[in-house]
Amino acid sequence: MTMRLLDVFRGKFVDPTYPGVHAGGDVITTRLDAVVKWGRKSSLWPMPFGTACCAIEFMAMSASHYDVARFGAEVLRFSPRQADLLFVAGTIPDKLAPVLKTIYDQMPEPKWVVAMGVCACTGGFYRSYHVMQGIDEIVPVDVYVPGCPPAPEALLAAVMKIQERIKEGVRQSEPQGAHRLGASGDAVFDRRARRAAWAADDDARAKQGLAPRGVIAFGNPASGVQAPDGDRD
Amino acid sequence: MPFPDSALSDSQRSDRPPSSIAGIMHANLPGGVVMIREFRGDLSITVKRETWAAAAVLLRDHLDCDFKLFLDLCAVDRQGRVDRSERFEIVLHLYSVSTKRHIRVTTPLPESDPRLDTLTKVFKGANWFEREAYDLFGIVFRGHPNLKRILTHESFVGHPMRKDYPTARRHAPGKCAERVLDVPQDSQGMVVNLGPSHPSMHGTFRVQLLLDGETIVDAAPDLGYMHRNFEKMAEARTYWQIIPYTDRLNYCSPFMNGHGWALAVEKLLGIKAPPRAEAVRVVLSELSRVMDHIVCIGANVVDLGAITPFFVTFRAREAIYDVLEACCGARLTVSYVRIGGLAQDVPEDFDALCRKAISAAREVIDQADRLLTRNVIFVRRMREVGVLSADDALSYGWTGPCLRGSGVAYDVRKNHPYSGYEQYDFDVPTGAVGDSFDRYLVRMEEMRQSLRIVEQALASLPGGPVIVDDKRVALPPKSAVFENIEALMNHFKLVFEGILPPAGEIYGYTEAANGELGYFVVSDGRKCPWRVKVRPPCFNLYQAYPRLIKGGMIADAIAIIGGLNVIAGELDR
Ligand code: SF4
Repeated sequence: MTMRLLDVFRGKFVDPTYPGVHAGGDVITTRLDAVVKWGRKSSLWPMPFGTACCAIEFMAMSASHYDVARFGAEVLRFSPRQADLLFVAGTIPDKLAPVLKTIYDQMPEPKWVVAMGVCACTGGFYRSYHVMQGIDEIVPVDVYVPGCPPAPEALLAAVMKIQERIKEGVRQSEPQGAHRLGASGDAVFDRRARRAAWAADDDARAKQGLAPRGVIAFGNPASGVQAPDGDRD
Repeated sequence: MPFPDSALSDSQRSDRPPSSIAGIMHANLPGGVVMIREFRGDLSITVKRETWAAAAVLLRDHLDCDFKLFLDLCAVDRQGRVDRSERFEIVLHLYSVSTKRHIRVTTPLPESDPRLDTLTKVFKGANWFEREAYDLFGIVFRGHPNLKRILTHESFVGHPMRKDYPTARRHAPGKCAERVLDVPQDSQGMVVNLGPSHPSMHGTFRVQLLLDGETIVDAAPDLGYMHRNFEKMAEARTYWQIIPYTDRLNYCSPFMNGHGWALAVEKLLGIKAPPRAEAVRVVLSELSRVMDHIVCIGANVVDLGAITPFFVTFRAREAIYDVLEACCGARLTVSYVRIGGLAQDVPEDFDALCRKAISAAREVIDQADRLLTRNVIFVRRMREVGVLSADDALSYGWTGPCLRGSGVAYDVRKNHPYSGYEQYDFDVPTGAVGDSFDRYLVRMEEMRQSLRIVEQALASLPGGPVIVDDKRVALPPKSAVFENIEALMNHFKLVFEGILPPAGEIYGYTEAANGELGYFVVSDGRKCPWRVKVRPPCFNLYQAYPRLIKGGMIADAIAIIGGLNVIAGELDR
């Protein structure tokens, strides 16, 4: 079947995957809601929050070879206020976490989030002192794309997943890991054990009048170090 | 069987000067030099902490030393080590372009009083490195103009690279620091943040600007938005396990970082990869260099408002990705090197794939050349902006295309050939003015030279194995593991015990896409390194950024940062 532009209006061509639209002859009947969703899903405006290596593969997805334009999501916006799909591509260190939160908050509703790469999903292989263990500690995530980095094909699949979710009207409303950060109901076994161990250690040291391990208390005679302020020019 | 010569054997703790530098040091700093050692060709001089700054000045200014290029400064925590009396050690690496020598200067610092004179007045580049040592180790530098945390966030407590700090202990982050810049009380200017999420600041950089109209009066970058603790992680990983982490330092050219790491560890072990492995490493490194420069130039022109060159140049990247993917299965994070060689031999169609990549790269380079080099808008945006003189570039510690753009022809591949670069014929382009346009031209020419090297290496690709035949380093072939018990046990022991290098410290360096990528590795003879310090070329480049943009317009600041090619993963590690 060849499709001509006017056929769309004549109702000869409708998105076959879309159940809400009924067409026949020159008339299309549908629900407003379905049309809005159809429009939304085909004109996503992504905001790439590319921080690290994953951003390079994100670029590959948006460049000529993989061409995300085929899915109607090529209008990259670098301002969150103009975007409805947030791609978090890369590691989110703790210092960047408030920035990510601000960006998410600035995006207008309705909005969707893709966590690209294992770093954004879970912290990846950076289990360390300055890296957020998955962005779902602070923002809700709709689609997780594993891989380090995920291949561009996987990202395209994520875009399609988002489209499906839009069609079905499914959204995350809560950061799934909000309870994790420092809370007592910590669900992840090793982190929980580790935190408990640290807390016990800090308490034991505090009883002896010592600062927590790894901390130099400037001006504390026990550590023997003076405040750096006096050393400045 | 242990590897030969331990670094700290007594015969080497002598006052017999291994070179004339030692003589100069002894003569000019009587009583100030504690120890002079040479290990694997690295000259290392330990001085008393009182003579620290004087030693640096002497090495910089004495005509026979001439160590003008500041490379790196870092701290090492020796807690619990019996071979050192004091807990901390500060390590400085310098290079002399005229005499082609590296040198390491160290000084011990006690835990009770970790203070040292600052070198900020001797080398411009020392500023951020000292802040890093303060942030991560709690070393206090006397006289430092701005001794504040640099990599970790504001609410961080403690000094994470100390040995008694648990690797995964996080502190809940607070808000972003509002003020990075010191704004004078009576200033009428406007303070503007560029970043950390700004379309023109690639990745996660933040620069705070003080503006008078559109002119930049003052600028201060804020780092650490991509600080993901490579160095701390490396202390709990074996030498193999670090390879994937190195891929993620400069993720525009991942293979080169692994190449540098493998060479550094091989230097520590005193082994050499077989010729075929070296040749393949050269081919892939040079292709990666092309890829890196493509990103740099492509992204730079996107910032200037032209999107076409980006789409054009990215085509060549896909062809190069095809080569890497055929070799190891991954496009970006390749992890293809091994200590002592490569993970596996290259596929049969390696040659054909490389030639396809070469012709694709040639085509897009020519096309980009036609689109940009004489494009009036591009030239006007790039010429005469961001000028840095050769002397300043050395003092800031610039290396790579940026240093060469300022007219200093220092290229590790020429000055200290590794992996057989001495066999290949290539030129080192240099700039005349040191502005953004020169840096662009140097990169363009380097891509062409890289393709020349690849062609030569492919033409003379030697046969033979791709990994050393050494049971202490290389895993036996899988088929042998299934068939005989020696190989099985060898495999088992190597995987569980890891590579056990001799105790000692080396500085391994290669010419990565952005400049000299160095790994300072301290080994205590166990399977994990005691300390790994990356000398990230970007750190030095970016440090000069405020200096480059002050007095210019905001638009120039955007044109300049793209040309420096600062990569967050490498900058903050
Ligand atoms: S998931 Fe892998 S490729 Fe992506 S940002 Fe993390 S380390 Fe880099």
